[in-house]
Amino acid sequence: MALFTHEVTVLDPIGLHARPAGQIVKLVKESELDVQIGRPGEEFAKANSALRLMALKIKTGETLTLTVEADSEATAGEIAAQIQEFLKG
Amino acid sequence: MASSNGTLAQGSVLKGLGVGLNAVVAEVFRVAPMQALPARAKSTKSVDEERESLRSAIGAVGAHLDALGAKVGSTSAEIFDALKFLLEDDELFEVAEGHLAEGWTAAAAYGMAVDEFAELLGGDPDFDERVKDLQDLSKRVQAEIAGIKVNLELPIEGSYVIVGEDFSPADTAQFTPAVVGVITISGGPTSHTAIICRSRSIAAVVSCADAVDLVDGDVVLVDPVGDRVVVGGEISSATQAITFIETGREPIIPVRSNIGSLEDANKASAANANGVGLFRTELLYLSATSQPDVASQSASYAEILTAAPEGPIVVRTIDAGSDKPVPFLHMPHEENPSLGVRGFRLIREHRSFIEDQLHSIEIARAHTNREVWVMAPMIATAGEAREFADLARSIGKFKVGIMVETPSIVTQIADLKGQIDFLSVGTNDLSQYLFAADRMNPALGLLLNPWQPALIRTLARIASEAEAAGISSGVCGESASDPAFAVVLAGLGFKSVSASASQVGAVRSALSATSVNDAKRIAAGALEFSTAEEAKAFVTAELSNLN
Repeated sequence: MALFTHEVTVLDPIGLHARPAGQIVKLVKESELDVQIGRPGEEFAKANSALRLMALKIKTGETLTLTVEADSEATAGEIAAQIQEFLKG
Repeated sequence: MASSNGTLAQGSVLKGLGVGLNAVVAEVFRVAPMQALPARAKSTKSVDEERESLRSAIGAVGAHLDALGAKVGSTSAEIFDALKFLLEDDELFEVAEGHLAEGWTAAAAYGMAVDEFAELLGGDPDFDERVKDLQDLSKRVQAEIAGIKVNLELPIEGSYVIVGEDFSPADTAQFTPAVVGVITISGGPTSHTAIICRSRSIAAVVSCADAVDLVDGDVVLVDPVGDRVVVGGEISSATQAITFIETGREPIIPVRSNIGSLEDANKASAANANGVGLFRTELLYLSATSQPDVASQSASYAEILTAAPEGPIVVRTIDAGSDKPVPFLHMPHEENPSLGVRGFRLIREHRSFIEDQLHSIEIARAHTNREVWVMAPMIATAGEAREFADLARSIGKFKVGIMVETPSIVTQIADLKGQIDFLSVGTNDLSQYLFAADRMNPALGLLLNPWQPALIRTLARIASEAEAAGISSGVCGESASDPAFAVVLAGLGFKSVSASASQVGAVRSALSATSVNDAKRIAAGALEFSTAEEAKAFVTAELSNLN
């Protein structure tokens, strides 16, 4: 296992609200991987809790850092791409 | 018929405000207010036992949400899925477990965990609704643990008059076919309960303070026309709605219909309404997460304009505020939403949205070739009225008008001469602002009674000043759905009324059976009284004598 870092941008006009947070948590739980999300330079939240993600109060237009603990770059990239999709609104 | 087993003697008359025209006799079913949740306390049981109790309560509430989701069908089921996601959140449970380890009970621990997340999410208008959802879930979990009932649990079979403090939208959504009558202890004629009962033709009396003494098993007559409930009363003693002889004549002023959706437009057409007096456009936006483009807005408008009954269609531009937020406009939380940035006041921050709305309405108008009038809500000054009129005329071929809801604009109608084509009075909001009585406060229902002399006199002033200024005037508030009140409105000089589709027929008959001179005489008489009860009694008696 290794730690991979990706960037995602929140395009949803309401920011990281309940629906995308729920979609992300569902995906992360199904993947059984350790995924964390946060603003660069700030404390990250584990992506197993929609409430924790919502509490980051991320608004539209923000760029976030995503860390994925996975066995390959490909797996991590796929997760990041799907999360980016959820954040398109 | 069963006899009363309560404290109220047979024949007791409980006064309130009637809703609708149909009386009913049935047994009382008391809806108890939810018992208070136990105070947060330390547990006498082991942490493991408390954890198990929390897990099973969350499971039970989750199963209940599933059941509600299955009942409402696929479109709204998403809402319940989203709630379940919050309920079962991993970190929420972990935080609660932390409090269990400190020795708190399961209910206390979950309540504290939710409070902490509510605090984290607080102060952000995008999350206001989610925080309310979370707190509601917390209440349900704690109630489940304490064995307290949260839902109404209404009977499914038989016929009952349900009695309660007031009913929320969530409560009324649970009304079963066994609910044939409704009595509320507080809540006024414009309360959610009243609006739902009127649209479903359920006999109702609201603001009935003495109903607090009714108990299960009492048989009552709900007599909305008589504004009363009679313990042990027979249906034959119900106050007769004034029946107007079908004359086959056209009403003395056009009776239009209020609509908010395609379904309403179809109902209004079936009810033979003369056009639409109020098309509420909020429904098209309240559920959208991003601003719909002009093409999709105009397609929705065209569909509704096509279905609307023959006659002019009065479209009101968006009437949203922080209590009725449109998600994509990001309205900040306000302490007093009804006195805040709402209706036309949104033009400062959201001009392009209102312009897009008018463009969409114009495209739909041109496409359907219907006669469209547009009006703006929440106009407080002549300057605002002019600003809207100029904007609307620059965009489309509309007749242009304003809603009259604020007492301030009532004093400036003469200033609007030559500026606007028409005005429409929203009596619900006009009452709220005139009496300084919050429509959402169930304790203030009696002040919002349309028969209040101050409201009738204000309406008289609006009608006569509009006439003098050459502005066509109408009324589209709930009060215009009351046939007797509609006669008064016609007599005061209003040129049209607009009622909910279910009331169009009754209002049409009243205004067909009355002559213009009778209406004028009755309205003049109604202005003489100093109390709402006297004014209503006078008009009712006069109308009965006409037949």
